[in-house]
Amino acid sequence: MALEFEARDFHPRGMQIRDLHVIYQTNQGEIPAVNGVSMAIAPGKITGIIGESGSGKSTLAMALMNAVPKPGRIVKGSVVVDGAGDMLTIDKKIRQKVRGRDIGFVFQASQNSLNPLIRVGKQVLDLGRSHNIKDLRALLRRAKELLERMGMDAERILLSYQHELSGGMRQRVGIMLALVLEAQVVILDEPTTALDMISQASVLEIVRQIHQERHLTTILISHDMGVVADLADNVVVMYGGELAEAGSTEEILAHPLHPYTQGLIRAIPRISGPLDQAIALSGSPPDVAALKVPGCLFASRCPKRLPKCENSRPIYEAIGSDRYVACFRGTEHD
Amino acid sequence: MQILIRLGKRILAGIVMVLVVATFTFFLVRLMPGNPVAAKYNDLILHGMTPVQAMDQVRVMYGFIPHQPLWQQYLLYINQILHFNLGRSISYDGVPVLHIILAAAPWTIILVLTGLIASFVVGILAGVIAAIKRSSVTGSALSLSGSILHGIPQFVMGLFLAYVFTTLWVILPFGAPYNASLTPGFNWPFLSSLARHAILPVATYALSSYGGWMLTMKSSVITVLGDDFILASEVRGLKTWTQVKYIAHNAILPLFTVLALSIGFMFGGSLFIEDIFDYPGLGNLLLHAISSRDYPLMSGAFLLITVAVIISNIFADFLYSVVDPRIRR
Repeated sequence: MALEFEARDFHPRGMQIRDLHVIYQTNQGEIPAVNGVSMAIAPGKITGIIGESGSGKSTLAMALMNAVPKPGRIVKGSVVVDGAGDMLTIDKKIRQKVRGRDIGFVFQASQNSLNPLIRVGKQVLDLGRSHNIKDLRALLRRAKELLERMGMDAERILLSYQHELSGGMRQRVGIMLALVLEAQVVILDEPTTALDMISQASVLEIVRQIHQERHLTTILISHDMGVVADLADNVVVMYGGELAEAGSTEEILAHPLHPYTQGLIRAIPRISGPLDQAIALSGSPPDVAALKVPGCLFASRCPKRLPKCENSRPIYEAIGSDRYVACFRGTEHD
Repeated sequence: MQILIRLGKRILAGIVMVLVVATFTFFLVRLMPGNPVAAKYNDLILHGMTPVQAMDQVRVMYGFIPHQPLWQQYLLYINQILHFNLGRSISYDGVPVLHIILAAAPWTIILVLTGLIASFVVGILAGVIAAIKRSSVTGSALSLSGSILHGIPQFVMGLFLAYVFTTLWVILPFGAPYNASLTPGFNWPFLSSLARHAILPVATYALSSYGGWMLTMKSSVITVLGDDFILASEVRGLKTWTQVKYIAHNAILPLFTVLALSIGFMFGGSLFIEDIFDYPGLGNLLLHAISSRDYPLMSGAFLLITVAVIISNIFADFLYSVVDPRIRR
């Protein structure tokens, strides 16, 4: 089916994010939502980015598209997409092409990501026209294929308006719109938040299948350690706008080094077994004032706090191949 | 079929509303102090007639003295309305009200409809630009223009334009809807004279309603800009023009109701403009009817406004179901 499209290289594309800073301008001053994030997104892999609400993961996702909504602002850094360039500095026209065509994006609020006044099919066509797709029939065929794979009546969906679809259907339409142009990098921001457990599982399974078939590079953002652990090859843990830990999923699950990661893993509820095995992480994410203290952002909630954690912030550094952590205890081998 | 049933229901409800409003206006008009016959009578006495002469004169002029009880007048009135008969004017010596209104309506429609459409189109476009570029100089300048023009009363605007373009810098004619030496009809000199005379009053109307459209559209666009699907269309890489279409389409919806109602209220005339520029339109007619206590003419004019507003409301409802799929059922 890909033959109907212009020939495109199918080498998986990676992404390099360097020293990314995003601030929100508020009445209380500038809040750093993403504070010096650097990471490499491995081509052809699923990278899970996990964090609590307010950890800056959605802002990071929007920053990768250079589409941080106001009052947010990217102050520095770079987001280099293989074969496309730095999203933050490329020409506006090229950026418009890269968005959607090279990088597909599934929104956190995907239920509201459709224009309420026009039919889904028309929105697929608008998307195709915006990206100068010549064969619009083929585009619609592909849209139908994707919708059917996600277990929906494609004909009906394309003729529907947003208000005629359920939340889960809209979410899947959002996923279809991210994939229909054959983007090679797909960013999913909480793609299953609005779904029940069963639809969630099936949608995630589809994401996994399509990822494998098309050799995509997938970034999956979630607050759900279970979802990330299940799907991702690599995991990045975010806390208070900074990175806390990163590594392969097995490594992170087996040997979490950051006390925050350890807390997240302990907090995963199991279907079987006593509920109190899942231990909630006490305390709340850092607020504006806490973001500006000199010490570790997690210090006030940390069970393994050291005296120096209050005064200096640990550096996020490599401690092995593709293994990073920002904790004074992380580098000690205990 | 379903649509026809719905339309039928709406029209039926509309007719009931018209009758209710007709009842109200009938009684309200008659509750106004003074009566036309007494007014004329006093007027004649002031002009030096004796009471007897004046009474005779009044009888000759109106042919009757209203002695029927109110409820009989009311039944007669409703019966007439149902037969599309609005009665005869008192101040125009027995000319049917419908004729008078139909003669005045075109002048108002020329003025107000042209001005309304012009201000709507320009105001909507300016509102979209003002909202999208609201942090730039262009945006601020547009918003300021809207606020200022919105704040200037219509009669001040009319007098100002008349002063500038017919006195200071004489490029446009003043007063009267067309050059009186021309024969009205479908001929070029008449039509061009009509157009030239209409420029100032239409501009007055358009300028003073532009601000309202612009500011409403601006705030509507700003609301839509905050919607998730606009951010989504940006991140999906839709062309700028497609994004603007999405925004404008969603933002214009609430303005349709206001537009339809404005078209309805148009039949109330635009008194200040008609007065300043000497147009024999509905506004002047209504003013005349009120000052001369011409009950039938007053009721007729009010009824026209009512019917127009109700019709345009029904029209707006249907327009909505065309442009907004969420309303269709």
